[in-house]
Amino acid sequence: MARATLDRLTYRYPGAEASALREVTLRIDGGLTVVAGPSGGGKSTLLRVFNGLVPHFHGGRISGRAEVAGRSILDTPTRVLARSVGFVFQDPELQTVYATVDREVAFGLENAAVAAAEIPGRVEEALEEAGIGHLAGRPTSTLSGGERQRVALASALAMKPQLVVLDEPTSQLDPDGAALVLSAARRIAGQGRAVIVSEHRLHALMGAADQLVMVEKGAVSATDPRGWRAPRFTPPAPHPAHAGSDVVCASAAAAGFDGRPVIERLDLAVRGGEVVALMGPNGGGKTTLLRLLAGLLPPMAGTVERLQGRIAYLPQNPAALLHRPTVLDEVRFTIDRSGEDEEAAAILAELGMLHVARRYPRDLSSGERQRAAVAAVLPGTPRLVLLDEPTRGMDAGARGALVRLIDRLREHGAAIVIATHDAELRAAVADTVLMVAAGKVSAVADEALHR
Amino acid sequence: MNARAVAAWSAACLFIVLFTTNPAYKALVLAAAIVTLAAGAGLRRIRRLLFAIIIVAAFAALLNFASAHLGATVLFSLPASIPGLGGPFTLEALVFGLTGGLTIGAAILAAAPFSLLLSAHDVVDALPRMLSRSGAAIAASLNLVPAVGATFVQVSEAQRMRGWRPRGPRSWAEVVVPVVLTSVESSIQLAESMEARGFGSGPRTYVRRARMRRADWLVTLAAAAAVVLFGVSTAAGWAAPWYAYPSLVIPQVDPRPVVACLLLCAPVLAWRARR
Repeated sequence: MARATLDRLTYRYPGAEASALREVTLRIDGGLTVVAGPSGGGKSTLLRVFNGLVPHFHGGRISGRAEVAGRSILDTPTRVLARSVGFVFQDPELQTVYATVDREVAFGLENAAVAAAEIPGRVEEALEEAGIGHLAGRPTSTLSGGERQRVALASALAMKPQLVVLDEPTSQLDPDGAALVLSAARRIAGQGRAVIVSEHRLHALMGAADQLVMVEKGAVSATDPRGWRAPRFTPPAPHPAHAGSDVVCASAAAAGFDGRPVIERLDLAVRGGEVVALMGPNGGGKTTLLRLLAGLLPPMAGTVERLQGRIAYLPQNPAALLHRPTVLDEVRFTIDRSGEDEEAAAILAELGMLHVARRYPRDLSSGERQRAAVAAVLPGTPRLVLLDEPTRGMDAGARGALVRLIDRLREHGAAIVIATHDAELRAAVADTVLMVAAGKVSAVADEALHR
Repeated sequence: MNARAVAAWSAACLFIVLFTTNPAYKALVLAAAIVTLAAGAGLRRIRRLLFAIIIVAAFAALLNFASAHLGATVLFSLPASIPGLGGPFTLEALVFGLTGGLTIGAAILAAAPFSLLLSAHDVVDALPRMLSRSGAAIAASLNLVPAVGATFVQVSEAQRMRGWRPRGPRSWAEVVVPVVLTSVESSIQLAESMEARGFGSGPRTYVRRARMRRADWLVTLAAAAAVVLFGVSTAAGWAAPWYAYPSLVIPQVDPRPVVACLLLCAPVLAWRARR
C-alpha cells in the first residue's frame, strides 16, 4: 500500500508568476526515495507537500490530489499531519526548541498529547533508532551539526511516523556528520519505513535507494535508481606554476576570541594565482583562519601581512548579506564600492544566473541564493579571494560554473583560499590542501585526499 | 530550581528597585542580585553582563548630566548658545543620572536568572496549562537571540569586505536590513519546524511538571516577605524617599527596609547547585 500519493498536483507560491510544481503524479512506498535535481527546481517545495507545509503554512494556490497515510493533505493541517509525517530541515540550528536532547525529542510527543508516562520510553527508542542513545540529557548547544541533525531525526522518529522526510539534511555538515545522518536514514529505510531524502551527495545514497525522483522546473519524474550513474569526474588540466608574489602571509599567527586561541602557530603564504583549500571538521577553525587572513580578526600573536588590493570575502552564511531589491543590484553594490569598471551582468552570465538577475535575492532557493551571494562578492578582479563553504546547496552545474570562475580569478593573479567540505571542488581547483582541526593547520598529502 | 520561585524573586527585586527613589536601597538590591547570580551562575558567566550594565549605567548618568541643567552645585557651564548642551552642569544631575543607571542595572539583573539559570523547558514546565503554548513559543524564540548577535557580526564583516563603511545613521541600513531580514527568516523557519512537529495541534501533555521543592518555597517566601516588609516600610515612612534636586543630601537608611533588601539574598542558599 502506498504511504503517500500525489495526483496531478500543481502549486504556485503567493505572488509567484510560475508554478513551483506542475502536474505532479507520484507514489511513495516503503523504503528509500531519493529526490534530486538542480537547485531552484522545486525539491524543497515537493517535500513540503508531504506534511502540508505547502500549502497550509506557505499559502498559495494548489490543485490536484494529495494523500499521506490515508489523509487528504490538502484538507488536513500540518500540525495534525505531524503525527504521520516526520520532517527534518536543512539547518540544524533552526529546528531546536528546547535546551536538552531528551526534552527536544519529547517536544513533538507533548504536542501530540501522548501520555506523560509513555514519553520517556518513546524518546529512548527514537534516540536508539537514530543511533544517538548516548546523547540523552546532553545540552543541545554542545552538539555538533551532525549530532543536531540526528536529534532532529530522532524527534521525527519519536512520533512513529509512516513517512520520514529529510530536506538536504547534510548540506551544512562536514563529511563525518553527513555520513552519520545518511547512514541513519538508510538504516531506517531498511527497516521498512518510507523515507524521502533530498540530497546533492547522491553517491552516498543511491546504493540503498528504492526510487529516484528527479525534480526540474517544477516537473517531477520517478525512475529506477539502478539506472543512475555517478557523474564522471574529469581531472582538471594542470595549473601553471605560480609566478606571483605572496599576496597574504601569516607568520606564527594566532587568532581566537576572549583571549582563547582558536588557531595557533599559523605559518601560511598564498601567492597570486594559487588556490589553497582548507578542509577539516565543523568547529575546527577554518572560518577563524579565513577571518584572520581577511583582517576581520586581529592576530593574537604573530603577524599577518597582505598586499594592497581588494579582498573578496564570502561568509559562511552568504545569504545573510543579501539585501538589495534584485540580484543585479547586489552585484552593482560591490562594483560601485570597489571602483572597478565591470558590467554587473557579466558575472551573473558566468554563473548562469542571468535568468534571476531581476529577482529579489531572498525569494530564490537556497542553492540559487548561494550563487547570488558568490556573484555579489566576486565581481571585478580582487587581489585576495576568501570563500567559506562556497558550494553549500549547489548542484553539479552550479559547482562547475564556480570552478570556471575560480580558474579565471586565478589567471588574473588572485590568491584564493577556500574553506570547503566539498572533495570534488578541492580536487578541481586546489593547488594545496590544508587540514584545519582543533586549531592546528597541517598539509594534507595527495593519498590522504583520495582515501 | 523552579521557574515560579525565580519569577517571585525577580518580581520582588523589581518591586523594590522601581518602588523606591532611595539610591541606598537600589544599591542593596543591585548587590543582592549580583551576589545571587554569582552564586548561581558563577562570576565568569556574569562578567560580560556586568560589563554591559556598567556601560548602560554610565550612559544613563552622562545623558542626565548633559541634558538636565538643574541643581545647586554647578561643576562647570557651557555657553547657552550651544544647542542641547549649553547651560550649567551640576553634581545633582550627575548623581541623579547614576541613580537611574543603578535602577536599570538592578532591573536587568533581576530578570537575568531566566536566561542564565533556567532552560526554556524549565519555564514552560512551570507555566500554568493555559499559558503553555505561549511559553513554548517564547522559549523557542529565545533560542534565536544569540543567533541575531552572530548574524550582526557576520553581516557587518561581510559588508565591510564589500566596501561598506559606516557613514552616518543611514549607512547602517546596509547592515541592519540584512540582519533583520535574516532574523525574520530564521523565525519563520523555526515556526515551520514547530508546526511540522505538531505544535498547536490541541491540548498538550508534559513529560514532567515542575514541582516546588523546599528550597523553592524558601526563595518564594523570602521574596514575598521582602515585598511586604518594604511596602510596610514605605507606608510607615521608614523607607524615606530621596531627591537629588535642588541640592544633594545623603539618603536616609533605616534597618527595616535594609532587612527587606537583604532577604533577596535568600537564593544564595538555594541556587548554588546550578553553577
